[in-house]
Amino acid sequence: MKPGLTVGETLRAHGVTRRGFLKYCAAITSLMALPPSSLKAVAAALEAARRPSVIWLSFQECTGCTESLTRSADATIEELIFNAISLDYHHTLQAASGAAAEAAREQAMHENYGNYLLIVDGSIPIADAGYSTIAGISNRDMLLETAAGAAAIVSVGTCAAFGGIPAARPNPTGAVPVSELITDKPIINVPGCPPIPVVITGVLVQYLTFGLPDLDAQGRPLAFYGQSIHDRCYRRPFYDKGLFADSFDDEGAKKGWCLYKLGCRGPTTYNACATAKWNNGTSFPIESGHPCLGCSEPDFWDTGSFYHALSTPTEAIGEAAVYAAGGGLLIGAAVGAVHQRHKRKAIESHRKVSLDDIDEGAAK
Amino acid sequence: MSSEGLQRGYAILKEQIDAPTASYLSSCVNCGMCAEACLFFTETGDPRYTPIHKVEPLKKVWRHEYTFWGRLSKALGLSKPVTDEELAAWSPLVYDGCSMCGRCSVVCPVGNDITYMIRKVREGLAAAGHAPEGLVAATRRAITVGSPMGVKLPALQAQIRHVEQDTGLSVPVDVENADYMLLLSSMEIMNFPEFIAAVTRIFDRTEVSWTISSEAFEATNSGIQIGVSDLAAELVQRVVTAAEKLNVKYVISPECGHAYMAIRWEGPNLIGRPYGFRVVHILELLDELREQGRLKLQGKETDRLTYHDPCQIGRRGGILEQPRNLLRAISDDLVELPGGGMMNWCCGAGGGVSSNERADEIRLRAFNRKKSQLDQIQVDGLVSACSNCRIHIEEGLEHNHIDLPVLSLTELIEKHLAD
Repeated sequence: MKPGLTVGETLRAHGVTRRGFLKYCAAITSLMALPPSSLKAVAAALEAARRPSVIWLSFQECTGCTESLTRSADATIEELIFNAISLDYHHTLQAASGAAAEAAREQAMHENYGNYLLIVDGSIPIADAGYSTIAGISNRDMLLETAAGAAAIVSVGTCAAFGGIPAARPNPTGAVPVSELITDKPIINVPGCPPIPVVITGVLVQYLTFGLPDLDAQGRPLAFYGQSIHDRCYRRPFYDKGLFADSFDDEGAKKGWCLYKLGCRGPTTYNACATAKWNNGTSFPIESGHPCLGCSEPDFWDTGSFYHALSTPTEAIGEAAVYAAGGGLLIGAAVGAVHQRHKRKAIESHRKVSLDDIDEGAAK
Repeated sequence: MSSEGLQRGYAILKEQIDAPTASYLSSCVNCGMCAEACLFFTETGDPRYTPIHKVEPLKKVWRHEYTFWGRLSKALGLSKPVTDEELAAWSPLVYDGCSMCGRCSVVCPVGNDITYMIRKVREGLAAAGHAPEGLVAATRRAITVGSPMGVKLPALQAQIRHVEQDTGLSVPVDVENADYMLLLSSMEIMNFPEFIAAVTRIFDRTEVSWTISSEAFEATNSGIQIGVSDLAAELVQRVVTAAEKLNVKYVISPECGHAYMAIRWEGPNLIGRPYGFRVVHILELLDELREQGRLKLQGKETDRLTYHDPCQIGRRGGILEQPRNLLRAISDDLVELPGGGMMNWCCGAGGGVSSNERADEIRLRAFNRKKSQLDQIQVDGLVSACSNCRIHIEEGLEHNHIDLPVLSLTELIEKHLAD
């Protein structure tokens, strides 16, 4: 693919119609919660955007994020957008291997130094460099080297964004997210296990058209991660009415009531699943009767069973709880007794309030 | 102000904090709903009148004296105690800008009785010498003369003579073993003697055995309004002594809001023992007589009427149904004020506000709420059961150039006594 082309030219070269292109722009525009009137601006900006050079590094990951993007049922426009970028290095997708592949990375870095976009999936092991290497280079070294010349970094998937499953307790490889090693470049986190395909390309489109997006406290683009699953869940009315499924096969489950009591993480999970949905907009997990796991949140893997309601303890705290409650009672009783005595003394030392007392200041 | 006054006020605030207060102060969620419920906030828009803000000095003392961190920071000298200037600054908030109407306590989503706490703040401010001049003077008259308006026995006797001439009936005074002992507010004796005449006629017709005590006829209790429990207890004790001396079964609280609060709810706690008699409000008694068939009424009012619930009798006293039963017996065109009944808006002058000249301006501003309510329902007459509400509403209407009769429910009932 010739790097000098615009996104629009590339898409047309792939046979994408103007109608298809505008449809995609409309979907992205609404997903970014922009008013319909800005569709034109998005389309125009995207049409004219220069294809950036992109280097995709995969570290400790399962390839699920790449699968999410490339294994859609049909050849989607998301995939074409993905193709429209100048993907110069992606070791799962590229044909080259070995020294040739590394040469491609080095060439892309050299030619676009300071301007290329770095996409990372997977976490980086720092306990021992030998846990994960590519062409003999440790993940950490490759990341530091490649990030140095990047304009921005997109951490795709929960592993790259927050550490993910490799970082789950006891984290044998010392896995860390990109943000722990790189602090001097803008990092856009696109978490999810995997992230929604349209969100991945949406972030790319947003970057191509509007530059760096607004991020939340977790470094996620607000346009896609601004609302909780719970707030946009179609089962929310049941939650509001207090109608819950208590098991996976009870009456409530059959009637499609709220899955909160079955461990749904919807209320604490920020992602676009409930609106963008999966499999070309077919559904999202709650629609198939399963609680949200909270996969786009940090530490989601270490917060206890997925099937305990949010407000129940995530660890066995039986004995500790008894001691804590007992201790609390004792301290409470002791403090209470001190206050009681204090209060009794105050009442005992009561001196009658006389007319002259209240008159003292009122005369002024 | 003297540091002696501050010490006194601080000691009183410290002893005022009880278990309910501690739990209220620790459970406030700062939602601000009490502000919207307060007449003085809604009519001025001044956030200082937010009810929970009015208890700030009490909250400070509570933190300082009864919380772990408060006591720790006090011991380490990290927190500043309540100052006399603060107490002085809060005086206009709790005396001028609060009529103890109790709406804030009703709307509080966590169930905090804010009015109960404001009453306690008044205890501390009064002891520190920061009560308003007008209330202090009224309290002095109540303690020394026997009435906040300075009404003495001869004045009552003169009114009784007029009533006896007008009605041709005798008004029993100091009759031992009567069933009921009637209390009167100074305002009824001086401004609305028709009330005494009305009661005399009704009790004659319904054959109620009653009396007035020459030793304790005053119903009002300035000690409650200014917030000095020691003085309030002394005033309650006078009534209790007289009632027990005459050996009556009941004491009747007249058409006065805080008087009912004082004798019915606060009284036994103030004197520290149960009474040897029961307390009824005149409206309770009248409705009971009506129900028993002893009070027979005839004729209907032709005017469109509404009933203004006095806060201490309705919301805080629980007498909501009785006045409506009575009014429905004599009127077919009774309309409720918006939110009438449990959530009725205060007239703006209760809780000692009317005795406090400093509050003259704000109480007329507060009246705007009642005025706009009356504009909405368009009635020919407003009935109430509190002399203080009536005086203030009359003044407010006059101030706004509105011509609307303000009536006493007891007097209105008397007009409909069956032959």
